[in-house]
Amino acid sequence: MKGKDLINIGIFSAIYFVIVFIVAMLGMIPVFLPLLSVLVPLIGGIVFMLFLTRVKKFGMIWIMSSIMGIMMLLTGMSWPPLAISVVSGLIAELVYRSGNYQSASKAVLTNGVFSLWVAGNYLPLFFDAESYWASRQNYGQDYIDAVTKLMPAWMCPVTFIAAFVCGIIGGLIGRRLMKKHFEKAGIV
Amino acid sequence: MAGLFEADIENRGLVLDPRTKLFVMITLAVFALGGAGGDTAAVRCGTTAVSVLPLILLLTAGKFGKAAVFGISYALIKYAEIFLVPDLTGAALSVIGLLCLIFVRLMPGLIMGAYMLSSTTVSEFIAAMSRMHVPQQITIPMSVMFRFFPTVLEEFSSVGTAMKMRDIRIGGKNAGKFIEYRLVPLMVCSVNIGSELSAAALTRGLGAKVRRTNICRIGFHFQDIAVIIPTAMLYLLWILGMIGVVK
Repeated sequence: MKGKDLINIGIFSAIYFVIVFIVAMLGMIPVFLPLLSVLVPLIGGIVFMLFLTRVKKFGMIWIMSSIMGIMMLLTGMSWPPLAISVVSGLIAELVYRSGNYQSASKAVLTNGVFSLWVAGNYLPLFFDAESYWASRQNYGQDYIDAVTKLMPAWMCPVTFIAAFVCGIIGGLIGRRLMKKHFEKAGIV
Repeated sequence: MAGLFEADIENRGLVLDPRTKLFVMITLAVFALGGAGGDTAAVRCGTTAVSVLPLILLLTAGKFGKAAVFGISYALIKYAEIFLVPDLTGAALSVIGLLCLIFVRLMPGLIMGAYMLSSTTVSEFIAAMSRMHVPQQITIPMSVMFRFFPTVLEEFSSVGTAMKMRDIRIGGKNAGKFIEYRLVPLMVCSVNIGSELSAAALTRGLGAKVRRTNICRIGFHFQDIAVIIPTAMLYLLWILGMIGVVK
């Protein structure tokens, strides 16, 4: 990997993160919070597909994924997204590599795997819930029941599946937009 | 919005070492968001105390407006969690309870993140990263990214203005095309600016195989110690709680 590749990663990470950030603002409205695992992969996929056309060397996807994890740590989302993004980034890298960094269908699949980091953001809200409840017994069983009903444990795998599926859909949309706009504009 | 990612170097008051900020950030992630040691009362009180720290830091950095907005919303949510939630039943309980559950845990970290991004220059950040022996493969993309944020946001608002003139906005006539018509021009602009930036950076020797030097003087001072000690106390309380000394 040369300087130019590293700079490319930085540029696309910036575009991707700004878009994620704008979409994530919707998450401030509580109803939209679980929906972020749908919206972010869908919209971020468009940027990521364009990034994939620049990826020619091993490590670029992995680094970008890790940077997303670090950014989540810096903006207050704790360490689980970083742990997830390092692993899912490596898998995404291997998937795209298996298509020699040019297969279009592998690119769509790569976006699906890459998007898993988004679901990692919900992990702190799910795991360790028990000790959280243990400290709040005085709220009464009503409260605990109501909140566990709204955020049941099975939501956790669902967010991951949603991120993966929407990542694939986002990848397909990105590919369509790329054919429609970016090839014409000569930046692919 | 561009100010969100840019550090205001001229008036930022008390300067902390980036590593101190990172330490507070991780502590908040472990205790406030992760809920570590939640079964010990002392740790719970300590977590609340440390959660106020980012607000004080925002004040020392002269970000009074930001501190007021965050402070009032955090106080309201904390108030609701302590006094309102136990008396609620039914639908109100579900909605307000969930809100409290999520935001009481998220807010301290978010405030700290806002403080970190608005008080650390890219150069200081890179200096801290290289002191912690983070490889170049991570620091170069990250420095480019931070340099590029303001540019992307600027382009984003210009594209927004152009599209508003054609009535492409949420709630407008062409709302369906909103995403495509705002994203695609933004990406085309940014990629072109990006390749110019990349050429500029390469001529300045970024990515050369030499050890880069940095003009920023970072280090731990009195104010860093004043922040680190109360934060580290929390870990001590946690350990004491686990072996059963405090409750």
